[in-house]
Amino acid sequence: MSSAAPGLTAHLFEVKSAQLPLVTLLLKSTHLNEVANELQQRYGNNPDFFAGDPLLIDLCVLRDSEESVEWSFLLPLLRRYHLMPVAVKGGNPKQMQSALQAGLAQADEATYIRADAAGQTYAQAAPAPEPELLPALIVDKPLRSGQQVYARGRDLVVLAMVNPGAEVIADGHIHVFAPLRGKAIAGARGYTDARIFAASLEAELISIAGVYRTSDKPLPANVQGRPAQVRLQAGPDGEKLVLEPIN
Amino acid sequence: MAKIVVVTSGKGGVGKTTTSASFATGLALKGFKTVVIDFDVGLRNLDLVMGCERRVVYDFINVIHNEANLNQALIKDKQCENLYVLAASQTRDKDALTQEGVGRVLTELANMGFEYIVCDSPAGIETGALMAMHYADEALVVTNPEVSSVRDSDRILGMLGSKTQRAIDGKEPVKEHLLITRYNPNRVEEGQMLSLEDIHDILRIELIGVIPESEIVLQASNEGLPAIHKDGSDVSEAYKDLVDRFLGHERPLRFVEAVKPGFFKRLFGGR
Repeated sequence: MSSAAPGLTAHLFEVKSAQLPLVTLLLKSTHLNEVANELQQRYGNNPDFFAGDPLLIDLCVLRDSEESVEWSFLLPLLRRYHLMPVAVKGGNPKQMQSALQAGLAQADEATYIRADAAGQTYAQAAPAPEPELLPALIVDKPLRSGQQVYARGRDLVVLAMVNPGAEVIADGHIHVFAPLRGKAIAGARGYTDARIFAASLEAELISIAGVYRTSDKPLPANVQGRPAQVRLQAGPDGEKLVLEPIN
Repeated sequence: MAKIVVVTSGKGGVGKTTTSASFATGLALKGFKTVVIDFDVGLRNLDLVMGCERRVVYDFINVIHNEANLNQALIKDKQCENLYVLAASQTRDKDALTQEGVGRVLTELANMGFEYIVCDSPAGIETGALMAMHYADEALVVTNPEVSSVRDSDRILGMLGSKTQRAIDGKEPVKEHLLITRYNPNRVEEGQMLSLEDIHDILRIELIGVIPESEIVLQASNEGLPAIHKDGSDVSEAYKDLVDRFLGHERPLRFVEAVKPGFFKRLFGGR
């Protein structure tokens, strides 16, 4: 992968493969004024609905059409709705060529998460707009085996113990000011800067943005049963959980 | 005003029925008019432990379904003046319990002047257990000193705090008491059992009693006699302490210290 000159110890960059969740726009018309009207109708009241989501434009419906797509009109239109067009797929050679010239990548191998429900993919990729400040969800009763709390789109603060078999889940951080013995899942929708704080870390499972660790692998002695925080650190072999005592 | 006490645990075989029988007997011996109800429909046991299995004609389910009235179904205990048993049906299943029916029977019992209604819950977290706890004012959570029992008790405590009528109405929550049964201090010392502290650390509710592990329990239930009647035994003493504490009297915890076998016992290998 890397072919640096011998003797050079530090690389200025690295090339890695990556994947990206995308929102797809299945374009069904080349009459872009009408498309603009419909966008205005559906999202006009809600200009922040798409929070800068990268966008794939699917032309498969227009593949047999002779008409070309007016990229210089469409791309700025989409950006006004905070969509970031990055790639195109499914068009005929002429349409694909013009898209390439407009700066879009060709992504014919891109697949839908749900092949038959493009609308659902939208729903998954674009979270509903939320007020600017969602205060943390506070739980002051013990969470016992079988109980689950989910702080959607916000932090979770738990003032009583979280017992084995209980689950605390948050899209933001999780703070437990008592023994944390159950499962704790922070950054549940992929927020990688989320952290877990516990007054006594004894969790069965800890997870941040999908990177998890079970108690099958015992917690290090310097955090086990102590005040500790858990965060995600990007490293050369991908992201890993870092467990640190809090003094 | 009748007080409804559920004896529950989540896990099976930890001593709910033994405790229901002895606890209800203990309350009756103190002079309170008490009824103990078996909610374990389909797997009825309480009548055996109470020694009244041959006198069951009508049961709890018959009363719920208006096939008999309470006076016909209540079985008067032979040993105790103030104690009555309401047996479960062996031929039906838990779905025969309806919330309205249970509520109606409990109200009728209260109107008959019963001061304590002890509900012997089945194991599990399904209809039977939910019905037994639904109208409870207080709960005895029976727990053995082992991890799975503690976990199940934790689950039940969660349900007491969310699924009962008191929780639904937002009233004062069900008063929860932890009762540890089958406790063997020697085995705790050897690390084979969880200690009182370990259990309390997870469940964090007030400890109301510790019943020691003993052969007396098995003997008593085979005889159809609540273990509290086995005068002089540590189990009987421990259940009497439990009843006293429940009624608000202070009693020191007994039978929780490991006992080293004495010199002669070691010499002659007695048990």
